[in-house]
Amino acid sequence: MSGPKHTPTTLRPPPHPAPSGMIISANFSVTGFGRRWSHCHQLANYFARYASANEGDSERHSTLLSTFFNELFEAVYRNHAPKGEIKIEFKRDNNRVSVRAEVPTNAQCEQFYRHTVELVNQPDPMSWYRERLEHDAPEEEVTSLGLLELAVVYGSKLSIAEPVIGNSLALTIEFPFNEAEEV
Amino acid sequence: MSVSTAPESVVPPSSSSGAPPWRSPVTFNIRVDQNDQEVVFSGMLRPMIADHMKSIRATCEEAAKVSWGTLYLNFKRLKYMNNVAFLEINRFIRWSAEQRPDLKIKLIISSVIPWAIRKFQVVAEIYSNVSVEIYDKAFYPIQQMLEDAEFINVLRLQEQIIWEHERKILPNHGLRAGMRIADIACGLGDFAVLLQRDFKPEYIVGVDHSRPSLRYGQETVKNLGLEDIEYQYGDAAALLLPDNSFDFVACRLSLQVFHQPEQIMQELFRICRPGGRIYITNECMSCVFGYPEQEIIRSTYQSILDIGRMVGMDLDIGMKTRQLLTDTDLEDIRINLIDINNMNTDCYDFAKVVESWISGTSHMALAAGTPPDVHEGITAGLRVHMETITNPRGLASWPIYAGSGRKPAV
Repeated sequence: MSGPKHTPTTLRPPPHPAPSGMIISANFSVTGFGRRWSHCHQLANYFARYASANEGDSERHSTLLSTFFNELFEAVYRNHAPKGEIKIEFKRDNNRVSVRAEVPTNAQCEQFYRHTVELVNQPDPMSWYRERLEHDAPEEEVTSLGLLELAVVYGSKLSIAEPVIGNSLALTIEFPFNEAEEV
Repeated sequence: MSVSTAPESVVPPSSSSGAPPWRSPVTFNIRVDQNDQEVVFSGMLRPMIADHMKSIRATCEEAAKVSWGTLYLNFKRLKYMNNVAFLEINRFIRWSAEQRPDLKIKLIISSVIPWAIRKFQVVAEIYSNVSVEIYDKAFYPIQQMLEDAEFINVLRLQEQIIWEHERKILPNHGLRAGMRIADIACGLGDFAVLLQRDFKPEYIVGVDHSRPSLRYGQETVKNLGLEDIEYQYGDAAALLLPDNSFDFVACRLSLQVFHQPEQIMQELFRICRPGGRIYITNECMSCVFGYPEQEIIRSTYQSILDIGRMVGMDLDIGMKTRQLLTDTDLEDIRINLIDINNMNTDCYDFAKVVESWISGTSHMALAAGTPPDVHEGITAGLRVHMETITNPRGLASWPIYAGSGRKPAV
């Protein structure tokens, strides 16, 4: 008994995705990005699809990564200085995809990101998150919940990279990547 | 009832068919089925602010007001949802827990949507009237068989046997080079690889709900260095593939395992582009025969048909091929018989495939809860069939009906 004999049409060495290293980076102005809400989901889907290209089930990985990236882009959409450039780098580190987003900020935006990172790194962020679901969260906290969800529900790690460069702030998020295998 | 959502700036619009995947050709839709007390969400739900969820919350609240017992919120085809939308769904659930404490809410999700399980689990842990159901968790009673290397070899052998006949009829069903093809319920994915070799399509996506099969297919494609073949974990009854996006949509030897093949046909129709073709193949177990010992063989396959029906499988669906295509509103319907017999196929390979059905039917018998002697009888009958297949004076046949139809142009 033997299986079918395959004669591939485009024989090339099988792809070996690097366990670590750069996936893609991009720079764009906050004014262009902030012009349309739909830029968040379009960028999230584009980068997610790109980062998942060599995965076995790229659609599934890309759907999950898009969910993560979209929350980041939505947070950036709401919290950035009126002028400046967003620099974003997607990297892979073994089974995790990490993003470093350099966002132009003013004092208010910086406060938002620092507060969100503090919330994520508190001793019991899940209880805090559930509390906000059980009761109406104050308006100023609602916008943190998207990023908080990435941490408490999906196990992402959020941090602010130091030093802060000029009027920018570098937010780093490590996303879990094995979620796609869960049932 | 259908509710239109928000303006373009609220929920991003769908792209036209054929747009790059990152443009996400997905729109949001919400539908209320009052008879089933179900609110069905599909597509993408990424509003900017809570206010943009007003009409959706109002729809849910209206559904809750007129429901009793259990209200189902069906998210199995909601591909994307942001936290803004999630918080509003949560607010609706909290509202219903307060206003309608007697009403249970069941959140229906699919394992195909990778973000959904953890997200909704949190809600179910908070509210006692809420539960989560992963509706496709135990789809296939024979799934564990697919982990078995020997069974995989037999499936591949079966694919090889059928392909030798099938490739000759595929042009009659409209298959041409350069097409975009979807193979739904693709199993191990060999069909895609064989199509790539012999028909030079532009792109093929195989979808299946068995992770072991998909892993096998992905590994094969990777090892062969093949491009333009993708395998996705998915549910044939609720595909996430966009509308009108494939020239040729295949679903082979699979409709028989689904409780509602018509629902699958609707999904095949949805993803096929107007003018494209839907191609299905189906077994017809009551037409399997072997000579000599034809009576034993006939009654054996009748027993297999019977236990198949007990577990919701219609192994005689081949004879309904034309009806399935017609009822899906397809035109230019074409039917071919793929006649696998011991004169046109290596008889030992054919017998090996029939031998594998002993194991396959034992899983079915177990799921059907039949007494042990039923499967013992089937095993004995299949062994008789194997003898006729390898008998130099015997004649044995395994007919498969292949049919296709064209989706009408708009």
